[in-house]
Amino acid sequence: MIQKKVCMLGGFSVGKTSLVKRFVTGQFSDKYHTTIGVKIDQKSMCVNDTELLLVLWDVYGEDDFQKVRASYLQGSAGYLLVIDGTRKETLEVARQLHAMAMQSMGPVPYALVINKHDLRESWQVDPEMYEDLASNACLVLQSSAKTGECVELAFAELAKQLLKV
Amino acid sequence: MASPSRPPLDPARLSVKEAKGFSHLRQLLLAPEQTELERLKNRLDHYILEPSDVGRVLPDAIRLRAQQDSRLLSSMIPITQEALSLSIKQSPQLISDSIAPILGPAIRKAITRAMRGMVQSLNQTLEYSMSWKGLQWRWEAFRTGKSFAEVLLLHTLRFRVEQVFLIHKKTGILLNHVVADGISGQGEEVISGMLTAIQDFVRDSFGQKQEDGLESLRIGDLTVWIDQGSGAILAGVIRGDPPMELRDVFQEALETIHAQFSELLQSFHGDTTVFQEARLPLEDCLQAQFEKKSKGISWVVWVLLGALIVGIGLWAYQAYSEQQRWRQLLERVEQEPGLVITGVQEEGVPAIVNGLRDPLAINPEQILSDLDYSSQQVVFRLKPFMDLTPEFVRARAMIQLRPPSTVVLGGEGRTLTLSGEASHAWIEQTRLLGPIIPGVSHIEMKQLVDTDVKQFETVKASLERKILAFGVGESDLREDQESVLMDIARTIQALDHSAWTLHMTARIHILGFSSPDGTNEVNANLRGRRAQTVQRELETGPLQAVSLMAEGSSPEVSPAVFSQDSPVPQGRHVVFRVVETPSRLSQNRQ
Repeated sequence: MIQKKVCMLGGFSVGKTSLVKRFVTGQFSDKYHTTIGVKIDQKSMCVNDTELLLVLWDVYGEDDFQKVRASYLQGSAGYLLVIDGTRKETLEVARQLHAMAMQSMGPVPYALVINKHDLRESWQVDPEMYEDLASNACLVLQSSAKTGECVELAFAELAKQLLKV
Repeated sequence: MASPSRPPLDPARLSVKEAKGFSHLRQLLLAPEQTELERLKNRLDHYILEPSDVGRVLPDAIRLRAQQDSRLLSSMIPITQEALSLSIKQSPQLISDSIAPILGPAIRKAITRAMRGMVQSLNQTLEYSMSWKGLQWRWEAFRTGKSFAEVLLLHTLRFRVEQVFLIHKKTGILLNHVVADGISGQGEEVISGMLTAIQDFVRDSFGQKQEDGLESLRIGDLTVWIDQGSGAILAGVIRGDPPMELRDVFQEALETIHAQFSELLQSFHGDTTVFQEARLPLEDCLQAQFEKKSKGISWVVWVLLGALIVGIGLWAYQAYSEQQRWRQLLERVEQEPGLVITGVQEEGVPAIVNGLRDPLAINPEQILSDLDYSSQQVVFRLKPFMDLTPEFVRARAMIQLRPPSTVVLGGEGRTLTLSGEASHAWIEQTRLLGPIIPGVSHIEMKQLVDTDVKQFETVKASLERKILAFGVGESDLREDQESVLMDIARTIQALDHSAWTLHMTARIHILGFSSPDGTNEVNANLRGRRAQTVQRELETGPLQAVSLMAEGSSPEVSPAVFSQDSPVPQGRHVVFRVVETPSRLSQNRQ
């Protein structure tokens, strides 16, 4: 069996934990829990007849009070860079985390996920605003952990990319 | 002023002479290069790949290709598997010898570990299950809902390595994981990741170097020991208080793994299957130690062992006794006359004894009863036969002849010897029946006295001693001789009866005598009359086997009735002489 470490990166409250929970357990909760440190989950899947175990490192969301530690990112085969579509300030956090990831992991595959698509009417970001981040991403998706939209697809496509490396 | 440039020389437009010159000039200028070019052209046109060329580059080529991706390895898998399979078929010993150094120690180690754990567990369970402390723990188990084994473990455990994780240092991915017996692993990949994250957190928080790391964690009764390697981390989850020596075990295992998987750890891309062989060194770390280990074997075990030994002793004694009793039975049957064992089936119940039995032999059921065997335990299957030993021949004769108590039976071989006294009738019967008794061909009766013959002879002698006296010149009986006459009559009756018994006849000669006085003629007459008088007196009763014959004694009759030992009496009297009738007597004795 192949195992790959995948980090969830993004600002606080962008929905990283909800995306992982939706992907791993198929559930969603409106109740918000701040992740402290890192929370690790796993999900096995079959990609092109290859059994793959994704070890998901749900790293706490970066904000003014706590910065993501680069050591958490070491050894990661790829990552999901999550942006909250309803808060444009999470774009900048994503850029900083992306830079940190590039420095720590090197050029590994990543998926850019603009979350909370169920609140589309409240979105503050447009594709032009995250064009720089999307240019090198293997996948750009607008997802919703609440409805499950594109969640499975995001992880599945990233997994395919991980196996290609 | 620039000189005009000369047009390039075209060999096709040259004359023959110019062409020859041009060719000569070219040969002079370019001969070495031309030769080398022709050699290279020839080599390329006739290129053959030499094995030595391939051999030089093959190892490096394989290594470089394997580093690039796993396609080369994938393509080699079926070839390697087929080659290995063929090799095993053709030379299994070679493969066996090759893997024996690896498998042998591993198997020994696994068996030792399993046996040690089993004995320790049995020892503890026995010791505590019957003690006061054990009862308390049973109550605790009942009260808390835990199993007794769990409570026992909690109270007696010094330490026990329950789980060992082998974690890739860089990615935090679990490479291998082993658990102790009775422990169920759960979410070990997540635990592996969290351990790595915690280490990273601690290391970052306290500004430690990358090679430093968290060495141990303690949560309640659990301790997590973490050993750092260059490419992998070994984490052991330990219940209780582990000794420091356990660190050496962990480090030794980690060093072994690094020595074996160094390159794989460096080039790890998520494929954990290649680390399956790391299981053995990890299992070496699954150690445990219980309290009172030095106490040795529990007294309960000793008691059980003693009981077992006593039980085995009793069983052995019983088996030996049973064997002796069985042997005694067979010997007794063998010794018993008239019984012959031809086969024994000891297996199963009942045991079966096959053989022969003379009808006169003892009933084997009696032997069984004497030795406390029941007919459910032993069954005799005996066929009848005739035992011809002297003892049995005598016994058979005793039954068939029914001898009187005065007769003793003996003899050797096929001769039956009879001694003592018996009636004439019995002797005659024995003379007829004896030869048809199985085992008897001859009957010896020299020592056997016929009591009837003896009686006859006695009566005969008694009669021949009787004397009837007469007066001078008288032929009539005197009055005083009446009683003598009566006695003689009774004797004759007895003699008649005895002769009758012997199936013989006899003649009683009544011999009259006279004194020498007087003339011969008178005396002769007187002797005759005296004899006739007595005959008349005696013929009053019936006689069946004897007859009376009166006659005066004379030299003519004397030889027939008097032997030389009994001279003819002289005087005025009558005497009696008994003569057996030869024909009948001799006929009877045949």
